[in-house]
Amino acid sequence: MKRGIFTPFVAVLAAAWVMAGAAPPAAAQETVPVPELIERSAALSGVEIELVGELVGDYGVRSGGTVWAQLNDDSYAADPVASGGALTGANTGVGIRIPSDVAFELDRPGGYRRVGPVVSAVGVWRHHDPERGGESYLDVSSLTVVRLGRALEEEANPVAYVVGMVLLGLAVVLWASRSRRA
Amino acid sequence: MLIRPTGEDFRTIGFFLGRIFVVVALTGLVPVVWAAAAGEWHPLGSFLVMVGVFAVLGFAGIRLAPSTRRLEWSHGMVVVALVWLLVPAIGSIPFALSGHFADPLDAFFDAMSGLTTTGLTLVHDLDHLASSLNFWRHWLHFLGGQGIIIAALSLFAAGGGLTLYYGEARDERIFPSVTSTARFIWAVALAHLIAGVAVLSFVGVAVLGFGIRRAVFHGLLVFFAGFDTGGFTPQSTSLGYYHSAVFESVAAVLMVAGALSFGVHYALWRRRGREVLANLETRTILTTFGLTLAITLLGLAATGVYTSVFGLTRQGFFQVLSAHTGTGFATVPAGELATWGGLAFGGMAIAMALGGMGSSTSGGVKALRIGLTFKTITNQVKRVLLPEGAVVGSGYVQSGRKHLTAELSQTVMTVSLLYVALFFIGAGVGLAYGIPLDHALFESVSAGASVGLSVGVTDAAMPVLLEVTYILQMWAGRLEFVAVFALFGFFVAWVRGR
Repeated sequence: MKRGIFTPFVAVLAAAWVMAGAAPPAAAQETVPVPELIERSAALSGVEIELVGELVGDYGVRSGGTVWAQLNDDSYAADPVASGGALTGANTGVGIRIPSDVAFELDRPGGYRRVGPVVSAVGVWRHHDPERGGESYLDVSSLTVVRLGRALEEEANPVAYVVGMVLLGLAVVLWASRSRRA
Repeated sequence: MLIRPTGEDFRTIGFFLGRIFVVVALTGLVPVVWAAAAGEWHPLGSFLVMVGVFAVLGFAGIRLAPSTRRLEWSHGMVVVALVWLLVPAIGSIPFALSGHFADPLDAFFDAMSGLTTTGLTLVHDLDHLASSLNFWRHWLHFLGGQGIIIAALSLFAAGGGLTLYYGEARDERIFPSVTSTARFIWAVALAHLIAGVAVLSFVGVAVLGFGIRRAVFHGLLVFFAGFDTGGFTPQSTSLGYYHSAVFESVAAVLMVAGALSFGVHYALWRRRGREVLANLETRTILTTFGLTLAITLLGLAATGVYTSVFGLTRQGFFQVLSAHTGTGFATVPAGELATWGGLAFGGMAIAMALGGMGSSTSGGVKALRIGLTFKTITNQVKRVLLPEGAVVGSGYVQSGRKHLTAELSQTVMTVSLLYVALFFIGAGVGLAYGIPLDHALFESVSAGASVGLSVGVTDAAMPVLLEVTYILQMWAGRLEFVAVFALFGFFVAWVRGR
């Protein structure tokens, strides 16, 4: 996705558009947590399910009218480490394939200093899809933005700067005194 | 009788440690610049601390100035073993200060994993990690894969370069001078860096549909991890993140390039294709790769995990290639890999244990040792079967025609057995914590052979003793034991010597 489209205004409009009518009622499908999905991947093959989680990393806008993204269903979707969230292990995510018209205009995905949009993605779970060389992913048919993405504040660590500068100063002194001896 | 090391011994070791730390401090400026350019002010402070520690220790070591600047063999081995312990210890400072690790030991685990090009990780919330810290993880792969000592030797022609070079588990000199060899190794890496990042970035834009900046970011980091057979990835779902056979193919080429010995790179550069094909290592690795691939594919076919031939071969091929080259990239989640079971699981574990070529960035027993062990055994069988007095050929090709001596056979088989022991020790510790045998063995082999594939045992909640075991396995496996034993011997001599 191009950087210019990620303005908050467009994001809000997009969310409103998606929420307004693009999505079918989520309750019709089973909501599956991603860790459970990975465990029951084969059993859920071909089943329409709902995943709820944060979109992170990148949006891969492919030829053929699809957008690939990673949906993370973990505690960091609400509270990333950078915002003081508890350490609860590795991320748990799966790939999702969204038709471009459904993806429309999504808010920027999550990363450093940013929590991505939390979405409800409904679609068919493709387990080891033979048409995609054995990949597993959610083939999304509808997407609802549950919560918009947000920027995170980054605070510099002044102690680290002071310690670092003192150490570098000491290194220069050691280097200079060595040079003088030489 | 053990001879206690003298003050001069310590000064010599400190001096050479200091020179290497100064080089590492210089390489640490790269993430400093990255963090500043990206405006990532929190990690920037921690990188300054790290560079400061390296620089202070480096210049303090150099001030020790021993009376002679020639490095004895034992000193060199001790220096190498210490470098590979202390660089990850100091290099873990940015990780420890990032908040993404539960404690300093976890941060040290990741730094050791990065430097030894293993790829196992205990990071929390990787998908929200600062780009500069992510870069530092992969930059550690590059430093470790190419060799910190190699980096140091490239910059200064130090007395004792030979012992440092061999201490870092490299047994092949391409040029008569170690410094020239070191520079050639870096030239190969830089040529691959330019081509690899360009192709990966192009695929990122043209096929994956990423923006240029993100495509270059992914291309650079995946290059470091692929060419240096590391296994870290920018995102938590490893190479499965990209959902692209094209991207995987480019990464696979880099993984193969990383697993080739620099001698083979040199032969290819000089267009000596026949020499490469006649090379014992090439023949061995092609054979073992074919066998482990066949075993794994048969296992996957038998369990019916994949319903299409393309799916079966694509996923099976990539996972086995990743295992055999010691890279550790995965396109299936750890939880799913754990369910492969049977033949497929066995094929993967064997591929990991065997590893790539000697004098490459791969870990494991290495193709040369496998080939020479096989040759030793077949020669023994021939001697039994042939009439007395019959001459059994003992030549082999590896950067020229060489002779398999009894001493070489013994050395090769000893190191191979040490690897087997290393794998079983790690598996034993895993078993003691109630981890199933197959999973304990898989993870132990992955750590000891510097691979990085995981079935989920390596986790932030893992027992401390198991974590320390894996750290030691990564360290000893990367250095191929000799330098590690030399360090232990040095300490024993210090404590008990006269």
